[in-house]
Amino acid sequence: MARATALPVMKQKMGVPWLYLLPALIVMTIFIVYPMVNTVGLSFQNNDGTASAATTCREGEPCWGVMENYRYALTNELNTESVQTTWQSFWTSSYGNNIKWLLVMVTGTVGIGLIFAVLVDRIKREALAKAIIFMPMAISFVGAGVIWKFVYNYGTSQVQTGILNAIITGLGFEPVAWLSKVPLNTFMLIVVGIWMWTGFCMTLLSSAIKSIPEEIIEASRIDGATNFEIFSKIQVPIIAPTIIVVITTMVINVLKLFDIVYVMTGGNFGTNVIATRMYTEMYTNAQYGRGTAIAVILILFIIPFIVMNIRRFTKQEAMR
Amino acid sequence: MTTATLSKSLSKPRKNREPSNLGTGIGIVIILIIWLIPTIGLLVTSFRPLSLINTTGWWTALDVNNGPETAQHPDPNAGYVEKLSTRFTIDNYVDALTGYRGTGTYLEACASGIKPLGMNCNLTDLVNPRGMGRAFINSLFVTVPSTILPILVAMFAAYAFSWMDFKGRYAIFAILVGLQVVPIQMTLVPVLRMFAGMGINGTFPAVWLFHTGFGLPYAIYMLRNSMSTLPKDLFESAYLDGADHWQVFTKIVMPLITPAIASLAIFQFLWVWNDLLVSLVFLGGSKPVMTYQISNMVTSLGAGWHLLTAAAFLSMLLPMIVFFALQKYFVRGMMAGAVKG
Amino acid sequence: MKQNRIPWTILAVLLVSALVLGACAQPAAPTQEPAAPVAGDIDCTGVKTGDTLSMLYQWSGEEEAKLTAILAPWSAACGVTVTPESSRDQALLDTRVQAGTPPDVTFWNVTQLSQYKDKLVDMTTLGANAANYAGYWGEIGTIDGRWLGLPVKADVKTLIWYSPANFQAAGYTVPTTWEELDALVEKMVADGKVPWSLGMESGDATGWTGTDFIQDILLVTQGPEYVSKIIAGEIPYNDAGVKAAYEIYGKWAKDPKYTVAGAEGTLSTGFNDAILKVFSDVPEAFMVKQSGFASGTLLGTYPDKVYGVDYDFFGVPGAKGLQGGSDWLMAFNDTPAVRSLVKYLSSNKGGEMWAQIGFDLTPNATGNAAYASPEAIKKAGLLAGATGFTPDIGDSIPGGFGSAEFSGITDFVNGGDLTAILDTIAAAQADAMAQ
Repeated sequence: MARATALPVMKQKMGVPWLYLLPALIVMTIFIVYPMVNTVGLSFQNNDGTASAATTCREGEPCWGVMENYRYALTNELNTESVQTTWQSFWTSSYGNNIKWLLVMVTGTVGIGLIFAVLVDRIKREALAKAIIFMPMAISFVGAGVIWKFVYNYGTSQVQTGILNAIITGLGFEPVAWLSKVPLNTFMLIVVGIWMWTGFCMTLLSSAIKSIPEEIIEASRIDGATNFEIFSKIQVPIIAPTIIVVITTMVINVLKLFDIVYVMTGGNFGTNVIATRMYTEMYTNAQYGRGTAIAVILILFIIPFIVMNIRRFTKQEAMR
Repeated sequence: MTTATLSKSLSKPRKNREPSNLGTGIGIVIILIIWLIPTIGLLVTSFRPLSLINTTGWWTALDVNNGPETAQHPDPNAGYVEKLSTRFTIDNYVDALTGYRGTGTYLEACASGIKPLGMNCNLTDLVNPRGMGRAFINSLFVTVPSTILPILVAMFAAYAFSWMDFKGRYAIFAILVGLQVVPIQMTLVPVLRMFAGMGINGTFPAVWLFHTGFGLPYAIYMLRNSMSTLPKDLFESAYLDGADHWQVFTKIVMPLITPAIASLAIFQFLWVWNDLLVSLVFLGGSKPVMTYQISNMVTSLGAGWHLLTAAAFLSMLLPMIVFFALQKYFVRGMMAGAVKG
Repeated sequence: MKQNRIPWTILAVLLVSALVLGACAQPAAPTQEPAAPVAGDIDCTGVKTGDTLSMLYQWSGEEEAKLTAILAPWSAACGVTVTPESSRDQALLDTRVQAGTPPDVTFWNVTQLSQYKDKLVDMTTLGANAANYAGYWGEIGTIDGRWLGLPVKADVKTLIWYSPANFQAAGYTVPTTWEELDALVEKMVADGKVPWSLGMESGDATGWTGTDFIQDILLVTQGPEYVSKIIAGEIPYNDAGVKAAYEIYGKWAKDPKYTVAGAEGTLSTGFNDAILKVFSDVPEAFMVKQSGFASGTLLGTYPDKVYGVDYDFFGVPGAKGLQGGSDWLMAFNDTPAVRSLVKYLSSNKGGEMWAQIGFDLTPNATGNAAYASPEAIKKAGLLAGATGFTPDIGDSIPGGFGSAEFSGITDFVNGGDLTAILDTIAAAQADAMAQ
């Protein structure tokens, strides 16, 4: 009978699982865990790691002692004059922007990817249609930066080399500065993100849909189910584990997202996200301690999704 | 639906059919067009000279009379095709391929008889150290092992996570999810120090190892998902036949999760192929990869950015070939057939 | 099941062949032969043929080709193999330095002189020839009493580019004082013409065109000592003089009568596009303030334009001293090859080579007679005749100042409150000074 822990369907000797796990654990420890632990210590120190972060406190200003870099990382972008200004500045801070990115980009990529995977399933030229959605993933980011220049470019009176403004001025309106108008600009950047990453979601979701046994779909079709019912009541529940995996992966990707913002606006005009802010602090400003503190906060953001995955993990094993 | 057609449709899955209705078909086409427009812009631009790129929109490329006076055909009465032919160029591709760095174009410079620095003005320029040819080979050296190694190691770990019982599997799984979000910048300095101590700094194995380490959490995470969806009966019957874990792993699991491995391989390949930072830090400029050469075409003030349009297309070719080549693993019935076999 | 073995076989073969090829790709050990100590006028003392020198710089494309040409006589004479790397990613240099594997030599910005001061080798130790450099170069390159950086390339920023043809057609003349410039701007506006093209979009560095302009205004209204005091932290960035400069700039940069498309145009037009707008068939503006590279940008799009007829430049009128960008050679290792490179670049021959190849300007004074183009000669003349030279304020103050200054000016043009913005930048300045 099923139980909440793993199912040892076969007898296994003590230690066999560790033989399978060990190579991976060793490599990950050397290349991620050890360097990370090594670096986290810097977040409690000053900019060049020579003294405690507490020494960077200045008189007459709030100070969190050894957590000073965390104070900076969490509050520096906020305007704490009043509750209202704090709230407003939060939504243009890197954290507020990352929340916008998480909400819009994860929904956008997973939603469009799922719908598209179902729509093109079994049509003629399915491979070609999928390749078109996948293509942006294959373009290196230097190339993608140029591509979107031709979409968002802001030309003034004479020429529009950006297609969006060409359409808008063609209709008789003034050109729009897509990348410098707050809060429009963050959403324009998210559009680029959706364009790039939908192919990823679609590929994974499409292969999950294809693993659904044909008989189940046909049987419900005979029962008179509409396409939408098949989609929402059969396909989606069956591939739910894969959807969770795809959502988790996209959340991770969005949290780490750096290139799009860095190349297109450099975090200017209120478009900073956590990863670009970390980069600016670490390298442009040579504040390694502050940069590392931001990185640690970034890692903590993932905890709710870890919980979600563990729940799913136990539930799935209890069912089989 | 009659019994006859039903049994037919059950035994032979329907394939290659048209979209179920017109609305769906139009919807698909609209999404595809939206997705394609930016890339088409890049493609058209990659065949245009800089003076026209900067002064006219790419969608007006077929208008032969727009743009600055200097870009106009000397004979205003020339035919349309004649005029059009002077408004497109393959210079961007030639310059990108040969790695030409100069104010003019490679073809002009060679035609003038003064060879550009480091160029021979013959086919050998395709493999010169600045060109894309050699960078292509280096990129392959970096990418192929960096794709295979993490998948290989991850398969074992994923199998243990899905079908073995051991202490701490939830804790390790939680850490696995968390490790995926660690920013690469946090790990560069300690790892570089370690590589320098081992004396493998600037070699290919250094890059392979790093990509393996960073690719593993996601690879294990994804493979575990596909392995754990395999039906339990499969394992039980194998066990009754006297198979051990190793046999189940190699004979049953590996073939069955080929589609998952294929999609993982595509993405790992892409990420490594398009990576600049890791190869820059651990491999350096002495073994330049494609992304290095691409970003190197533009000066610090942005001059030469039009070459990026051509270079981006060249670097996109191989990933697209890989995508199409692995398509055959994304077909319905893979699993059913494999189980019977 | 059989078909599924094929991909595994392919993968295995690829893996093995990549490993073998990777192992074969190791370079053969160089042969060690002492090179001639002094080859011609290039000093190769101590260098052995086959010595290597690793080098990291931010130049690429055409710029890299020019550097290679400048170094060619030296590397040929001394037999040094240069292993160059090019990247503008500050992460690469920082990672290398922190991990203890820096390149032998890097060409980077003035800020890094103080950032890496504990790790750099003294230029005097390396045998740099100080006599070839004007005094202000030594001051900028000296940190805590040690001369740590050799200036190799300079770029004059205090320039205004215009089209003589367009000026003539409209009946305008080149101003020689700040008052004349101001009057000319007002006259253009009164004529219904747009004087400036101030676009400053530049990806992650958006804003630098604006802060350059502020610094030029400061050179006019306050002079170079004032700018140096800001860099030294003796004058806070929210001083009245700075505020006045922002107000002058803001009057132009935010108003569509004064600059192409007003504040929106300033924020969203790429700095390269901004240059082109002055020289298009139907010009959108009459002047663009930009450093020496502007001619390269415009010739890329309008290859037929002629210097002196279609395009030309004048120094910002009334500016006391110049503002310039500069690139510095910094050495992390003291080897014979590094010494001979430093000696070469600071020698007469090195300065002449740099000027002949025409990679912007060389701070090495012996280059002054060797420039080839009239345009470079005019720029070099401005630099040679300058009474003072101030590096970019944003580049010179370490820590978060530079990015605070950039985002400050974009906020300002975007309509932000000037006093609050300057206070924020001044806080970043104080922060940098405290460390």
